[in-house]
Amino acid sequence: MEKVYQPLRPGRKWFKELVAHVVFFVLGRAFQSAAKLDAGIRREVAEWEEGFTLAMCILPKGPSMLLKKVDGRIRYAGWAKEDADLIIRFKNIESAFLVLTPQMGSARAFAENRLSLVGDVARSMSFVRCLDRLLAYLYPAFICRPLVKRMPPVLRPVRRRLYIYTLGIPFGL
Amino acid sequence: MLPSYFEFYNPVKIVSGHKALDNLPYELSQMGVTRPLIVTDKGVVAAGLIQVVQEAFGSSGMTIGAIYDDVPPDSSVDVVNAIAEVYRANGCDGLVAVGGGSPIDTAKGVNIVVSHDKGELKDYMGADRLTGPLKPLVVVPTTAGTGSEVTLVAVIADIKRNVKMAFMSRHLLPNLALIDPRMTLTMPAKITAATGMDALSHAMEAYTCLQKNPLSDAHATAAITLISRYLPLAVEDGKNATARLALANASCMAGAAFSNSMVGMVHALGHATGAVCHIPHGVAMGIFLPHGLAYNLPERAEIIGELLLPLGGAEIYAATPPQSRPERLLESLNKLQKALEIKAGLPMRLKDAGAREDQLGEIALKAINDGALMMNPKEMDMEDAKAVLKKAF
Repeated sequence: MEKVYQPLRPGRKWFKELVAHVVFFVLGRAFQSAAKLDAGIRREVAEWEEGFTLAMCILPKGPSMLLKKVDGRIRYAGWAKEDADLIIRFKNIESAFLVLTPQMGSARAFAENRLSLVGDVARSMSFVRCLDRLLAYLYPAFICRPLVKRMPPVLRPVRRRLYIYTLGIPFGL
Repeated sequence: MLPSYFEFYNPVKIVSGHKALDNLPYELSQMGVTRPLIVTDKGVVAAGLIQVVQEAFGSSGMTIGAIYDDVPPDSSVDVVNAIAEVYRANGCDGLVAVGGGSPIDTAKGVNIVVSHDKGELKDYMGADRLTGPLKPLVVVPTTAGTGSEVTLVAVIADIKRNVKMAFMSRHLLPNLALIDPRMTLTMPAKITAATGMDALSHAMEAYTCLQKNPLSDAHATAAITLISRYLPLAVEDGKNATARLALANASCMAGAAFSNSMVGMVHALGHATGAVCHIPHGVAMGIFLPHGLAYNLPERAEIIGELLLPLGGAEIYAATPPQSRPERLLESLNKLQKALEIKAGLPMRLKDAGAREDQLGEIALKAINDGALMMNPKEMDMEDAKAVLKKAF
């Protein structure tokens, strides 16, 4: 019998997509919460213009998250449905999974071209500094250390971690 | 050190050598260009270099669409738009940039405008905003330092908003780089020294920063070998065509290296110093390079030590024990700098270059927001930046 050649439709990586959805939600809510608690993140965010939007997404149409500066504070605004001022795009779900799980830090992800940036590079530097501080709250030092070039000097990490996990992420406080 | 993953992209055709410029009409015709617009500045015209370019078109049957020779040292949106008008009015179908960083960046900006029917230049600002190929662009560098002929970046000032707009896209890479030693023969000794240090800083940062990879390493070390050997010769005798060609090749290779492995804190500090104190980029690079290497030494000692081979030569490298190589590299670099200071008047300290101590805080703030810092191996925060600046002052 003659072999038939026809188009293939590769399946979806449901588990990794689900994990990415969850981590984006956690990251977004945690960022909102940490921006309130941490003076370093507050100082960085104060420099961002009112209404500034930042999206993280997985190409081509994967999970995403949107952060928006409203009334001087950063808010998690759910999925990135609209265009944003700064967009950090993971080129594929596998790269996103490495960074979000968190097996790879942002500097290494950029160095390995796993991320693509659309927008103002100076603003992305400010965001990465915030992200490093956020990681210090989200994870204990032994997880955080390999992800950052130098451990950010954050105050009361354990107490604030507890706040972020119990009130910040579930209730957006 | 082998990275677990890397990317390298350099689609620019490089035509390099004595009388290489005479191939310009042929190369343009291969790209389908029939009426190129030449973008240059007054300095290039005054040095008689545009005459050499014009002569290259002799007997080629090709029409030069126009020669725009009014590019200022810091190009702006208005200049880009004015050139785009000249391009359209003369029915041009490609661009030839002749000059240093400013005409090349301007031509890249013009290319964005003339290749898009909609929007303004600022709509394409930032990384990866361009989604398709632009018009053919040829670059003929007249300095040996920026490496812009093989980079995917352009910086254009928006004077009304008082900001420098950076554009980064693979589509900004020129189609062709034409390297002809005739184009750099008239460069004064001080500019030769400064641009040479710029190229050296590209190569050394490409080799030591986080995105280094085997291909960028090969380009970087080849560039350092040439700079180490030929920069002092070119500074001493500007008419030495071999030294000029070697430096132009080195600059191009260093450009290809850092375009793929990026640069680090030396460039972050240099960009910031240029913005605050208007110190020429090459001069700032010369000042910051040893300080940047010394700062990164705790994270990159072995890698920095490896640079002694291309900079100091095989004999010095072999005679130096591995643990002493980083120190010896810094000594060799210092020796090169001192020679350039004596022969060409290249400043070694910020204060000698015209910076004021009260400007250091502003420089530090700008430096920590510079994208180049992302690939620096060691974290540099505001206080670290101030400390390095103080040492360099």
